[in-house]
Amino acid sequence: MDLMEHKPPRWALRLLRFYCKPRMLEIIEGDVYELFYKRIEKEGLSKARRRFGWDVMRFFRLRYIKGLEDINSLNNIAMFKNYFKVSLRSLLRHKFYSFINISGLSLGLAACLLITMYIGNELSYDNFHQDADRIYRMANNQSGNWTPARLGIQAKMDFPAIEEIVRLQGPYTQTFNLDGKVFREERGFNADSTFHKVFTVEFLEGNPDKALTEPNSVVLTASLARKYFPNQSAYGQLIDLDGETKKITGVIADPPKNTHFYYNYINSYPHDPGVTVGNWTGNNFFTYAKLAKGTDVVALEAEFPDFKRRHAGSEMLKWTEFDNYDDLLANIKGVPTYTLKPMQALHLHYPWFALGSNGDINNVYTFMAVAVFILIIACINFMNLSTARSAARSKEVGMRKVLGSLRGNLVNQFLVESMIVSLVAMILALGLAAAFLTGFNELANRNFEFSDLLAPTTLLYLLGLVLVVGLLAGCYPAFYLSGFKPIKALKGEIKSGSGNAFLRKGLVAFQFAISILLIISTVVVYAQLQFMSNQKLGFQPEQVMLVKNGSRLAGNLDRFRGQVEALPTVKHFAHSDRYFSGFIGNYGYQTVEENPRSVDLMNMFVSGDFQETLDLELLQGRFFNPELVTDSTNVVINESTAKWLGWDEVLGRKLSREEGRDFTIIGVVSDFHYTSLKKDIQPMVMRNVIESGWIDEAYEWWGANYLSIKVTGDFKQTVAAVKETWNQMVPDEPFDYTFMDDSFAALYDEEHRFGKLFTASSGLAIVIACLGLFALAAFTLERRFKEIAIRKVLGATVTGLSLLILRDFTRLVAIGAVIAMPVGYYLMNEWLSNFAYQLSVNVLYLVVPAIVVAIIAWLTVGVQSVKTALGNPVKALRSE
Amino acid sequence: MQRINLGEFEELVLLIVAILHNNAYGVAVMEEIESQTGRKINISAVHSALDRLERKGFLKSFIGGATRERGGRRKRFFQITTAGKGALDFIKEQRNRLHDQIPGIDLGLS
Repeated sequence: MDLMEHKPPRWALRLLRFYCKPRMLEIIEGDVYELFYKRIEKEGLSKARRRFGWDVMRFFRLRYIKGLEDINSLNNIAMFKNYFKVSLRSLLRHKFYSFINISGLSLGLAACLLITMYIGNELSYDNFHQDADRIYRMANNQSGNWTPARLGIQAKMDFPAIEEIVRLQGPYTQTFNLDGKVFREERGFNADSTFHKVFTVEFLEGNPDKALTEPNSVVLTASLARKYFPNQSAYGQLIDLDGETKKITGVIADPPKNTHFYYNYINSYPHDPGVTVGNWTGNNFFTYAKLAKGTDVVALEAEFPDFKRRHAGSEMLKWTEFDNYDDLLANIKGVPTYTLKPMQALHLHYPWFALGSNGDINNVYTFMAVAVFILIIACINFMNLSTARSAARSKEVGMRKVLGSLRGNLVNQFLVESMIVSLVAMILALGLAAAFLTGFNELANRNFEFSDLLAPTTLLYLLGLVLVVGLLAGCYPAFYLSGFKPIKALKGEIKSGSGNAFLRKGLVAFQFAISILLIISTVVVYAQLQFMSNQKLGFQPEQVMLVKNGSRLAGNLDRFRGQVEALPTVKHFAHSDRYFSGFIGNYGYQTVEENPRSVDLMNMFVSGDFQETLDLELLQGRFFNPELVTDSTNVVINESTAKWLGWDEVLGRKLSREEGRDFTIIGVVSDFHYTSLKKDIQPMVMRNVIESGWIDEAYEWWGANYLSIKVTGDFKQTVAAVKETWNQMVPDEPFDYTFMDDSFAALYDEEHRFGKLFTASSGLAIVIACLGLFALAAFTLERRFKEIAIRKVLGATVTGLSLLILRDFTRLVAIGAVIAMPVGYYLMNEWLSNFAYQLSVNVLYLVVPAIVVAIIAWLTVGVQSVKTALGNPVKALRSE
Repeated sequence: MQRINLGEFEELVLLIVAILHNNAYGVAVMEEIESQTGRKINISAVHSALDRLERKGFLKSFIGGATRERGGRRKRFFQITTAGKGALDFIKEQRNRLHDQIPGIDLGLS
């Protein structure tokens, strides 16, 4: 058989012909063919074919690949060089306009860069977990955060689709004690031993499968391990947590920051039936499930109502007056079930499920809107200035057209110009963003570092942004300028701005609208904050010191109280199981009457001095008396509860908790805000915790977790004195306290951040818009130089002339205000609906921002117009 | 001192082209290198070296006639230029000169 009948691999040949430069192809192909035929003789067909393919791949080198010069003519590159040169010259010639363009754009880009970085980070939460899309959080009914202990265990047995489960509790702050080194450590969790099977954890030391199986084990993150065991291995060591000795059974890498539950250490569970077997009554676990690949989540969720009925039904009935489950179903809203929430959505879409990651999709939307607004304002500047200056460029355009430029070439030229501007702005924007980073971190409540700004993804975003801005801002001027008729352009008949003045004015009005809108938001946010801080809380939070971790005092409470009360600056001392501004849970109660009614009441255990310490207003009856032991079966209710009960005389009537445990109402206090004003005041009941601090000593039920101390005079000294007393009695627990009014103020941190965000963004928007306005006004005045001179010669006054120019711009502000006010009114009412106590949006809140913007616009334009009006008309008229 | 911009492999290829005289094209150069030095090299490396040498002006090329052994495709022949010859001579002369200056003492190598 003739050698030539053998064929080399088709793919290799095709590849070669695809990438290779045509003029090289024949020679290269010839050589590889020659080698191919030679090798068939020497090494056999299959090896020759293989080596043919290898040769072809090795020829894939820069010099043989079809390059630019084969696709585009050299002329094209030269043209681009020319565009580049002309653009640079034009930018340098008009330094003033270029400066305004570039500085406005770079401010806008810097803001956008920070915001895209933030959004990118928000969207990346929990993506690092393997199979993150298969991990779900199980919710009690539709939105119950806590689930029963039994749920996970039973669900895994009943449904093969559930591959693995893990239960968590936390986050806890516990006291670590290693040979006298005592620290409070935040963000600890309890977890099942399956933790690492659901979540992605990198074990540096220890066996992942065994780390959390034994009771009293703890797994530390690397940074925590380093803190307590510098320069030695923490693995296998013992450490005290809240007074219990734990064995360190693993050291894991610090989890990435972008997770909905950041942890510093993980405790194992005790081998206690409450955990290992679990029950259906107490909802005190977070349950996560990892589903098998390809599980139909909707179908799985559809099985849960039956599942709940099967396992939890009898337990649920015990707590109701119904005899069977169907009666229960008929009498409640919705079907009792469990639902699955995708883990990756917890951070943004179910923030109340996230374990302290502070995310909110609305924040992402707000930031996104702000970024878009600022970018639009910056782009409008660019478009306006480019088109306004079109007359100056018209001769150039005409000449290029006469010399044979097609419209496409001109469009390219102007796009190159806008790209140069945005690229320069990009570099400046990086610098600005770095400078603003600390401030931005405060606004976004995140901890970005400089290195995050230079991360490849961020830079990629920025580059994308620059391309979009360059195109967006560049394309209108490009098409407008390139559309000039060459003859008219050369004759100088193009009156700048005649045709597009309307659009330009519209754009400026739009800029004003955005600025006004942002200022309205700022004003309303701060007004609402002011409104809330002016609201009467119904008690006195000032000068109330709140000492936490009261449970550590246990038997020492009386001694502690004695020493603190002996201080001359301490007026009152009270203790309670919860505190105002903190979390207060509700208990189910029933009324004692002919047809008992059930109600959930906010429940607090307080001591007898509580009313005086916090200055609650007593409306009827009396408060608890520390001397009376019988007060433990008495309750004090608030006005809302009294209203709900609807009895003519509440004193002496009874509420029952369970059968046989009745509580007599001995007093009514007026309503007070025990939490943020976002929430309504709920009916509340206060029960008594005796002076020793126990609610029920037999069950080790401690009720003095928080100690409220009313102080007068110099609080610093008092704090120091109380701290010393504490340290004497509880040496192994750091003293932790706050003041009640600070604690309340902290509830509005989010709103304060919102206010700052709007202040910053409206400031930025105004600055950028004013830059543009300033340049536009300068340009307009330049054009009307002669007109103004003639008017002046004919007798116009300086005031009259200045007003003439101001009138134009004022009209634009007015149009902007007309757009912004209704939008602002609508949006801010939406935002205010988050608050139970909201201020009504006053017309002033809408009008004042518009007036502020008008004044700023007048100042921007005014200086220039007065200068022009004051100018000597002869100078203007003589030049021709 | 004048510097000649010539890599080790380039020098080898240039020498081979000079040796092959009128029959220097890709495959021939590759095979010659293999038989003269025992070095296994890929054809693409030879091409790339030849191209570089041509750009530096040490080689010139022309397209030859079609031959059957490569399926009717033409060959690209390379010839050494005066500059190429000069470069080779210069390198050789410089090497010899340096080599001759090695002192004739026993370095303990033999």
